[in-house]
Amino acid sequence: MIVLGIDTSGYANAVGVADGERILADLVFPARTDSLEKIISNIDSVLKEANLCLEDVQGFGVGLGPGSWTGIKVGVTVAKILAYSAGKPVCGVPTLEVLAYGARKNRGQICPIIYAGTKDTVYAAFYRTENGVVSRVADYYVGDLQGLSKMVRESTVVVAAEAQSYCRLIGQAIGSADIDIQAVEGVPRGAMVALLAAARLERGESDDVLSLEPLYLKESTARAFLGRTQAKGRV
Amino acid sequence: MLVLGIETSCDETSAALVVDGREVLSNIIATQLDLLNKFGGVVPEVAARRHTELIGYVIKEAIDSAGKTLSDVEAIAVTSKTGLIGCLLVGVAAAKSLSYSLQVPLIGLHHIEGHIFANLLSNPQIPMPHVCLTVSGGHTMLVYIRDYCQYELLGRTLDDAAGEAFDKIAKFLELGFPGGPAIDKLSTRGNRKAFKFPRPLLRADTLDFSFSGLKTSVINTFKDRVAGNEALPLEDIAASFQEAIVEVLVTKTMRAALARGVSAISVTGGVSANRRLREVFQDTCRREGIGVFFPELSLCTDNAAMIAAAGYARLRKGEKSDLNLDVLPNAPLEV
Repeated sequence: MIVLGIDTSGYANAVGVADGERILADLVFPARTDSLEKIISNIDSVLKEANLCLEDVQGFGVGLGPGSWTGIKVGVTVAKILAYSAGKPVCGVPTLEVLAYGARKNRGQICPIIYAGTKDTVYAAFYRTENGVVSRVADYYVGDLQGLSKMVRESTVVVAAEAQSYCRLIGQAIGSADIDIQAVEGVPRGAMVALLAAARLERGESDDVLSLEPLYLKESTARAFLGRTQAKGRV
Repeated sequence: MLVLGIETSCDETSAALVVDGREVLSNIIATQLDLLNKFGGVVPEVAARRHTELIGYVIKEAIDSAGKTLSDVEAIAVTSKTGLIGCLLVGVAAAKSLSYSLQVPLIGLHHIEGHIFANLLSNPQIPMPHVCLTVSGGHTMLVYIRDYCQYELLGRTLDDAAGEAFDKIAKFLELGFPGGPAIDKLSTRGNRKAFKFPRPLLRADTLDFSFSGLKTSVINTFKDRVAGNEALPLEDIAASFQEAIVEVLVTKTMRAALARGVSAISVTGGVSANRRLREVFQDTCRREGIGVFFPELSLCTDNAAMIAAAGYARLRKGEKSDLNLDVLPNAPLEV
């Protein structure tokens, strides 16, 4: 099944094409303030590289975030409107899973980390690989690295755009020679989104094209403010 | 030519199908009034999230309710200039995807040009040239319209938009959101001359506007009365405040029309639905022998039919955007 994968949730944006378990083309491009300008021409480029046109695409995959709050809306909107327009299915994939999947050949626990855009805050999760399938083994984490480090109780592979520095900080926080923290530098890639989406679509799983929306692990600042003031009885 | 219009520049998610820039087949508008009431105004981050949720439904409804299919669409028009960046980019991302998928032309438009075309949609007989006043929650702009798609900016607000002043005063007086209709309604029971609020820049030799001082004056008057334990006639405050805004808007627009020697004025945007504004414009224009035109009420606030109509006019002139179209949140109206 030919699937186009898109992820614009991060500070690099990505599109890729896969046919079942085979990667046909993959492109990572730098995001400016947002990822809107080049998204369609980059989709066109990867399709051309794979000798395909949009009509050949049988399904769409999209990274749902968490990540950049403007960028993520571009990828999700493009994926769902292309799917609606083409009458093809769409499948959303959490971006932390996309990162973990890119490092699935490593043994043991995998911890993808995405910078949350505000000081000291990261999004993270823990995954394990079995027979090439990555599964999340705990709830998503939103918080600082200190808090995350407390959850690391065994040797772990950290996957992130700045994995080395996260690795060092987590290693320092744990302070135990028995727990080995390895770094794998990585960004969410379109081809990984396409592979994950293809596997699900081939199993007959898909998301509703019109209602698909990003995965928000943090509520908006305004909602958080409203929640706090209501709790204090000020609104 | 069947044009699909898309508008997401602020808090309305809208899609419309319009034939030849004239005949509106559908004009679907999803408002965020539930959110606006909760937050007391537009929160960009919250509005942008809601656009992402709604955009697919709104486009599908615009197509289905017109009895058309996507393959009937011959061009896509979208608001890409002026608005909230996170909101604009949802509409533009959707528009680019459709243009690429359906292989039809794409045109990105200025939001104010859309409002200008809202009035031309309702009143195709408006003569050229004419003077257009766009008044909404985000804009207050006087434009000389030489011909279709040829504009000269005459004046704009230096601080708050007129609709923003309505919203802020309504919020202060706890009348709800949006503030315009609430103040309009309350004012019908009030005395317009009860309070002497300032008419900012009324006599100044400029066609620019300023409403923040007026807003402060209303708030100070209210606070003084509270401090002095005086009566608080909300109807009179609302009516006097509204009268100050209306007088400034009408006086400056008439001055521009007379200076330019045009035979017509068009008034667009959300505030053009205000009953007192319409009444004073009609009386004044009748005295001066100038025609005045307002869009039908459904086209006053943000909507995609006006974008489709403006897009058709630009496409007819041979213009189009490429697939690298990006958003320009602060772009001036092209002249």
